[in-house]
Amino acid sequence: MTDTYDAIVVGAGHNGLTAATVLARRGKRVCVVEKSGQAGGMARTVDYAEGARGPEIAHLLYNLSPKVAKDIALRVETRKLPTIAMSPDGKHVEMAGDTLRFADGTAHPEAEAYAALRKRLVKFARLLGQLSDAPPPSLAEGLAGLRDIGGLARLGLNVKRLGKQDMREFLRIILSNAYDLLLDDLADGPVAGALAADAVRGCWSGPRGPGSVFTLLYRLGQGGDVLLPMRGMGAFETAAKDAGVEMRTRSTVASVMVEQDQVRGVTLDDGTILQAAAVLSSLAAPLTMQLAGARHFDIEATRRLQRMRAKGTTAKLNLVLSATPDMPGLSDAQKAARLIVAPSATHVESAFNPVKYGEASAAPVLEAVLPSLSDPSLCKDGRQVISVIAQFVPHAPDGGWTAAQRDDLSKRIIQTLEVHMPGLQDLITHSTLLTPDDIETLTGAPGGHWHHGELSIDQLLTVRPVNGLSRYSFGVRGYYLCGASAHPGGDVTGSPGRNAALQLLAEGVLS
Amino acid sequence: MGVASYDAIIVGAGHNGLTTGCYLAKAGLKTLIVEKNDWIGGAAVSRSLHDGWTYSNCSYVCSLLRREIVRDLELPRFGLQVIPYEGGATFTEDNDYFAYMSDHNALEREIARHSPRDVDAYARFSQTVMRQCRFIRPFLLRHAPDPTSLHPRDLGELAFLVKKAHGLGAKELGETIRFWTMSIGDFLDEHFESDLIKAHLAGSGIIGTGLGVYSPGTAYVLLHHYMGDVDGAIGAWGFARGGMGSISKALGMAFEEAGGEIRTGSGIDSFRVKDGKVVGVALENGDTFDAPIVASNMDIKRTFQRHVDPIHVPDDFTKAVNRFKIRGSSAKLNIALDRLPEFPAAPKDAPFLRGDLHCSTSLAELERGYDDWKDGRWSSEPYFDMLIPSQIDPTMAPPGKHMMTVFVQYAPYDLERGGVRSGQNWTDETRTALANCVYDKMEQAMPDIRQRIVHAEVRTPLDIENEVGLTEGNIFQGELTFDQLLFNRPVPGYSDYSTPVEGLFMVGSSSHPGGGVMAAPGANAAREILRRAGKGKSMPRFAA
Amino acid sequence: MTHEAVPIGLIPGPFHPRLEALSRAKGWMDWAGYMSPSVLDTAEFEYFAIRNQATLFDISPMHKYRITGPDALAMINRVVTRDVSRIGDGRVGYVMWCDEEGMLIDDGTLFRFSETDFRLCCQERMFLWLLDAAWGFDVTVTDESDAVAAVALQGPTAYSVLRDAGLDVGQMKPFDWHEVETDLWISRTGFTGDLGYEIWVPWDAALPLWDRLWAAGNHWGLRAIGFDALHIARIEAGFIAAGMDFQPVHAAMRLHRGRTPIELGFGRMVHFDKGHFNGRRALLKQRDGGQRYALVKIDLGGFKPAQDALIYHRKREVGHVTSGVWSPTTKRNIALAELKAPYGISRTDDLMAEIYVNQEGRWDRRLVSVTIQDKPFFINARARTTPPAAF
Repeated sequence: MTDTYDAIVVGAGHNGLTAATVLARRGKRVCVVEKSGQAGGMARTVDYAEGARGPEIAHLLYNLSPKVAKDIALRVETRKLPTIAMSPDGKHVEMAGDTLRFADGTAHPEAEAYAALRKRLVKFARLLGQLSDAPPPSLAEGLAGLRDIGGLARLGLNVKRLGKQDMREFLRIILSNAYDLLLDDLADGPVAGALAADAVRGCWSGPRGPGSVFTLLYRLGQGGDVLLPMRGMGAFETAAKDAGVEMRTRSTVASVMVEQDQVRGVTLDDGTILQAAAVLSSLAAPLTMQLAGARHFDIEATRRLQRMRAKGTTAKLNLVLSATPDMPGLSDAQKAARLIVAPSATHVESAFNPVKYGEASAAPVLEAVLPSLSDPSLCKDGRQVISVIAQFVPHAPDGGWTAAQRDDLSKRIIQTLEVHMPGLQDLITHSTLLTPDDIETLTGAPGGHWHHGELSIDQLLTVRPVNGLSRYSFGVRGYYLCGASAHPGGDVTGSPGRNAALQLLAEGVLS
Repeated sequence: MGVASYDAIIVGAGHNGLTTGCYLAKAGLKTLIVEKNDWIGGAAVSRSLHDGWTYSNCSYVCSLLRREIVRDLELPRFGLQVIPYEGGATFTEDNDYFAYMSDHNALEREIARHSPRDVDAYARFSQTVMRQCRFIRPFLLRHAPDPTSLHPRDLGELAFLVKKAHGLGAKELGETIRFWTMSIGDFLDEHFESDLIKAHLAGSGIIGTGLGVYSPGTAYVLLHHYMGDVDGAIGAWGFARGGMGSISKALGMAFEEAGGEIRTGSGIDSFRVKDGKVVGVALENGDTFDAPIVASNMDIKRTFQRHVDPIHVPDDFTKAVNRFKIRGSSAKLNIALDRLPEFPAAPKDAPFLRGDLHCSTSLAELERGYDDWKDGRWSSEPYFDMLIPSQIDPTMAPPGKHMMTVFVQYAPYDLERGGVRSGQNWTDETRTALANCVYDKMEQAMPDIRQRIVHAEVRTPLDIENEVGLTEGNIFQGELTFDQLLFNRPVPGYSDYSTPVEGLFMVGSSSHPGGGVMAAPGANAAREILRRAGKGKSMPRFAA
Repeated sequence: MTHEAVPIGLIPGPFHPRLEALSRAKGWMDWAGYMSPSVLDTAEFEYFAIRNQATLFDISPMHKYRITGPDALAMINRVVTRDVSRIGDGRVGYVMWCDEEGMLIDDGTLFRFSETDFRLCCQERMFLWLLDAAWGFDVTVTDESDAVAAVALQGPTAYSVLRDAGLDVGQMKPFDWHEVETDLWISRTGFTGDLGYEIWVPWDAALPLWDRLWAAGNHWGLRAIGFDALHIARIEAGFIAAGMDFQPVHAAMRLHRGRTPIELGFGRMVHFDKGHFNGRRALLKQRDGGQRYALVKIDLGGFKPAQDALIYHRKREVGHVTSGVWSPTTKRNIALAELKAPYGISRTDDLMAEIYVNQEGRWDRRLVSVTIQDKPFFINARARTTPPAAF
């Protein structure tokens, strides 16, 4: 059986869906092939247990590109959540936009310093955010021949517009570490801890690692508001369907067909052939290479792709609770906030240490949300779901994950939460743990890394995913990378998908 | 006695201060150098602390010293002799070693003994590093451009940078970006399979820094240690005959021959400032001197936190100085030996023993050492860079006896004791405990080391701060991280060696291009001082 | 336990006892860490033996890699520029391989045992590169450099020497490759452009092989030779040498000093129609966009060897000689030279070489004419005739 399309997208993660939608909305015939039964990739809403639903992996939106939303006519209803930095002494701190106060409403001594710091960071982050909506600068002709200097020049111009002081500060901090930056202005408590945790969430890095300021700014690229998507992130799939994208779920691409250095389509594992002059892969870059076969790539390219660092450090614990847990010190409204358990920046750094040697943190750093408090459609009968991102957890401990190690990790996460939610243990009716290894199995992301590859300076921009393959076009003519391992990187942004689709069109593959 | 008056005064007779002094004096400025110790040299000294032995008790090997400066100041005429050393080795727990051999064929055979595949990997590794050295070296003796400035000089420097970068080509430029931003651990993991070889090479990526082998940016630190040379052999290191003090001694003699004056024995009390301009210095012993140009060889923190009234500088500058990161991360043991220790693993008279010796055998071990340091402890399995220069240099110890220098990483400045982190926790007790920890590890290579020790000097970061004046005992006068390199060094807006106080200049390693016995900051600063004094032409232009 | 120190400096190769006994000149050079003769007696006589009798030259220090497995052909085809599927079993092919920019990494000879079994011989270390290239392919790469000894038997009487040694190679055509006896392989290949063979045996079987050839060679004027003699012969034959006529790009500090096969005059060895191979996209761009340099064979005026001479087009410097010698057989002043495009391609007239000669302490400069040649300087039908003549 053979079908013909203009473009085939491999993988129905939000980036694959975005790429497909961008093309379909420009009149192209597009098919998305997804191996699982449900689209969404890391941004799926699933049944936790007995009808209680919640986000499987990613649970919040903070980095969605407005250009993407506009281009694919994304209709997603969101609710803005404040952040609560949980304090071991019960004096939790609420962070909402630039304001900082104790959860009980009293003034926080660092409110002013925090506001100034955050304003400064958001200003810098928005500058960087502009780079996300276009391919990274090309080095094709060396520096002097920078062809599309556009993006970079615009950044340069905007940096200049910052004024000398800010510009100097920008250039000083951009490659530095979050720990020093935060502690230059803040005491090392839950506020610094929460920001430090944000800086390294999903990363193989502690806040003392140079480059962690960049990852902090990356999250703040759209202003840093934390949004809960009501009814989950299914809007990407809806947008794709509305645009006329054909979805083939439960279909696995066995290989990408290449003839004479030109993509011809894909072969599915049931032998079906889908022909197309363009194939976009939202899989991670090394897998994208393997799908076509190493022989179609230069040896240097395969070597670089093999070495791309993608060591996931983040586990997910999804719990169903029989009732809303008690959270001393928080109001009912605050219970629905984004809850961060990271007592200090030093704590976050110490939590990172063991993962370097293949062990999990004794006291993990957590980001927890109870989405069902904001979105009652997720579960009924007074039950609640709680979605927890836990760091730092190795992709594979020595000898692999055993049932005992998994239990131990779940216990540690629950105990860490229970400090702030007394009695939590007794409310749990169901629990699902996803280690980085599980996330890899589930989504194909190498190492279970949610950026499909470490978001470190040596794997960014012009060298993302790897040197020489940074502009979506992936070696073979007509083959494009549209997932998180491409520029600008992970998080639910849609930017790699949109940028790849636009680049494909600009390069005339379909004309 | 009236107030003596000079054209220029330099505070601190470290190798950079002396270098600046040489150039100012040679340009005809009446120049005074003041030094708090009774000897000159700062961290480049030869001290006799045990009768008959000479210790290079701070810096201990030489490579980075810019050959342009050595030749220009005719330092060999003043006795400076640098002898390259012959290799090096890392000893393992199971009585084996990896030896770095200076003979190319022998090195390949030695690598093949551990991993045949890594022979090719080493070729690839050294090509990459040497290409990066070629790229960076021309920038060492130029001032770092300020990208926020539209000044023609800054634009010129930026254009030079762009031109050099363009010459690399697209792929190489991409690799350069990666190299400059990645960790030495990742870089070595990309190349080698042998843990031992990786560990041997990784030391250069962390020496003197508050970073671990897996901290991004440490590949650059490796480059910082490889970009020197001995007689054009890039990356080679050598001993200064008579110890590192002979560098300072030669610089001091060159300075005095050019008409300069050195006063030792009293440190500075304060830089005297009037109407935003420096007018001279006041010493601790009460002496005061006048000069319209004053240069500080001290690091920027010590200069402005201790010796300049903050009233004279903008708050932003003070803030920037306060947040400048200058972390003590290393200690030093200087040891007099009654004879050469036994190295049971090594063949007799192995030439590689006349090089740098180590006992750290994996990157994980090095990284754990860093984790200890972050928490305020010295590494329980410390990395050390250990040499016995008396095997090559007969002047360092009595005949048949030996002198050993052991650089130890990591040791914190603010040691943690009972939950409190403070430099004051360095006591005789903790000092001895540190030394014992190092000896334990040294026994991996030399089981009889404890029996060989006649005398040992243990220098903690606190001791280095107290004696040499380096804040926290940081050997580079400031971390070599991106936020403190090039135009960010020492603080943004002041990478041209100037300060908010007119006439006051920073000539030490706090300034671009940073630490190591390189003399580049001192020479670059001298050029800037002379340019501002209208004597820019009196200093030779070093070829790029 | 004390570990034996690895030896410093040069170590003896498999034929060393025989070479050392023959070495009167005591001229040794470093070839991959082995003591290799630059000259054993007199370079001039050694050279004439190549063109007049037969010669033995130890080529064991060459790097040798075995590539085996179901994907061996596909993997090698991805590495080298020519289509290896066109090389038959029991045949040898000259191959070049490039980096992703199309710059030559090295050249060498590929010996095909079967579609799943090859040996690659070359000058540069290539183990890690081949391992890199093997990733994603079902192949095994083994470094055989220190396991296989080889000697080149070259010269018009080479066939006769082998015959008298009891080795029948009469039916072997150029680039054939056979196991003539158990563990003794012979290829009709060489680096001289003359009749010649290369004989391959296990490392520890080297000396018996030497003795067997030596005993048979007496009547045929067999001589052992060093590198200096071979150097003249290979330039006459128009063969390029790594480090002289091109800079292997992996060893180059300045990457733009790399050269493509097209620039080295081997465009015919780049088979764009075989699917992807390393550097193909870059080479395609160069094929369509034009090359930067051209390596050419040149004939020079005068009698002074032109090594390192600069080449001018009228007053403009356009290139330099990469290898130049006086050719004793053709009686011509010959060289390989690199010219900047379009010189050597579309502009071939009015070229002059500037040769410096030191005459008893005084440097003199000669300007001589340069003529570009299409064919190798030394061509002789005896190199290809099958079965070969006795001499």
